[in-house]
Amino acid sequence: MISWTHTIIVVLGRILVLVVILLGTELGVRYGLLSRLFFSSPTEIFSAFQLQFAEGGLARDVGITVFETLLGLVAGSLAGMAVGLVLPQLHILSRIFEPFLMVLNGIPVIVIAPLFILWLGLGILSKIGISVYIVFFAMFIPVYTSSLRLDRSFTDALRVMGANRWQIFWKVVMPSAMPSVYTGLKIGSGLALIGAVIGEFVASRSGLGHMILYASGTLDTPTLYLGIIILAVFAVSLSFAVDAMGPLLVHWRFADEK
Amino acid sequence: MLEFRNVSFTFPGRREEIEVLRDVSFACRADEIVAVIGPSGCGKSTLLSLANGLRNPTAGAVWVGGEVVKGQSRLLGMLFQQSTLLPWRSVVENIELGLEVRGEQKKLRREKALALMRQYGLGGFERKYPHALSGGMQKRAALAQTLAMEPKVLLLDEPFAALDAQTRVVIENDVVKICRTGKRAMLIVTHDIAEAISMADRVVVLSRRPATVKEIFEIPFSRDAKSVADVPGMTEFTTYFKRIWDALDISVTGMGEAA
Repeated sequence: MISWTHTIIVVLGRILVLVVILLGTELGVRYGLLSRLFFSSPTEIFSAFQLQFAEGGLARDVGITVFETLLGLVAGSLAGMAVGLVLPQLHILSRIFEPFLMVLNGIPVIVIAPLFILWLGLGILSKIGISVYIVFFAMFIPVYTSSLRLDRSFTDALRVMGANRWQIFWKVVMPSAMPSVYTGLKIGSGLALIGAVIGEFVASRSGLGHMILYASGTLDTPTLYLGIIILAVFAVSLSFAVDAMGPLLVHWRFADEK
Repeated sequence: MLEFRNVSFTFPGRREEIEVLRDVSFACRADEIVAVIGPSGCGKSTLLSLANGLRNPTAGAVWVGGEVVKGQSRLLGMLFQQSTLLPWRSVVENIELGLEVRGEQKKLRREKALALMRQYGLGGFERKYPHALSGGMQKRAALAQTLAMEPKVLLLDEPFAALDAQTRVVIENDVVKICRTGKRAMLIVTHDIAEAISMADRVVVLSRRPATVKEIFEIPFSRDAKSVADVPGMTEFTTYFKRIWDALDISVTGMGEAA
């Protein structure tokens, strides 16, 4: 058991660190110890937020990036899961496609991004495409490998009971892949955001990636920090949301933990 | 009830074929327990996979309930060596799995599963997951799962190897009782001579690969014992143990004889 005093010290410690950072940058920038080119004070970042928000651009940029990320995550995960589950069932197809998929997985996404811009244009479609692409592999790889190493004793037991292929798929193959789906979702949620932002970096007219790149180009440091902070908040929220799905996907692993 | 008639099985290997079983014949009537014993790797488990339909014999046939085995027979239930309880299903959901596969109504199968759980001392663990159960209780749950399908023939593949001595005796007794009272045929594969003599009416000794039936021993006294734990204390036990040991022809020096 962790004692109450221990918990209180940890919480107070965290608050203290935050206060030191906020106060330190505020005073440092205000009194000229930190250069305005490289650092921004919390109040400056807040004014940048007010300005961007008032102009109506910020809400739009955030909305676009969030939309690209979520759609990329959902579509990429579903596709990765479907292919990862079904391919090992079809032995010959699995052996034919495996090297191609591994090569595609090996290509860095930053290199693939310009191709997606070329195919799908400057709008959000190309960003969703890039996001789907990397999320697909984040989901496909763990699900595929776990499906290949499926415990034969489970399927044998089901077969002896007289189960057909479909019943084995739904009662054994699917649930035994769920821990890998959960893993894929955790990795994928981070990559979905990276995919969307990379797409916006390569070529775009809107989105948080575009806002950050534009701020960097115009030496608008407070807006640059604002973009980073918003992305961080979004990334953390997304990862909390995915964590919360654990008890749904792998309920048996959470059953006896209290 | 269960009969192997001139059964041979050859693994179709990539480079060379591996002959596992050659011309194996023996029978197991209802209300009878037959133990199959043999050197490790001789094909004991393969024998069971021919009866449960996971593999087909290269020659000969396995008969269950007067019919040649083709695919899975409803008369047959199997208890595997390792735990086959699905980790993502609660204990009661595992026990009703076979009935679910057969398409039995949810209410009916749940009732049957709960009744079996009470009968085998698993009451109170319905909503638990298998990993929360001890090894002995997992075995009981697997047994209940198999019995829920009301098989007439039970196949057991070294099912008690991982259990501690006390738990083992209790479950062995349960299994013997299930077989006797339910007029079921039971085939148990084991490498444990004492277990074979204690539980079975007949012990089939297989030779090294390609395995043939080397000798069949009738054990007339195991049926009279109140508990399987009493059998090793009976006067005839040592004689049979020695005879079966000799038939197994296990070289104690290990590497000495030609494999």
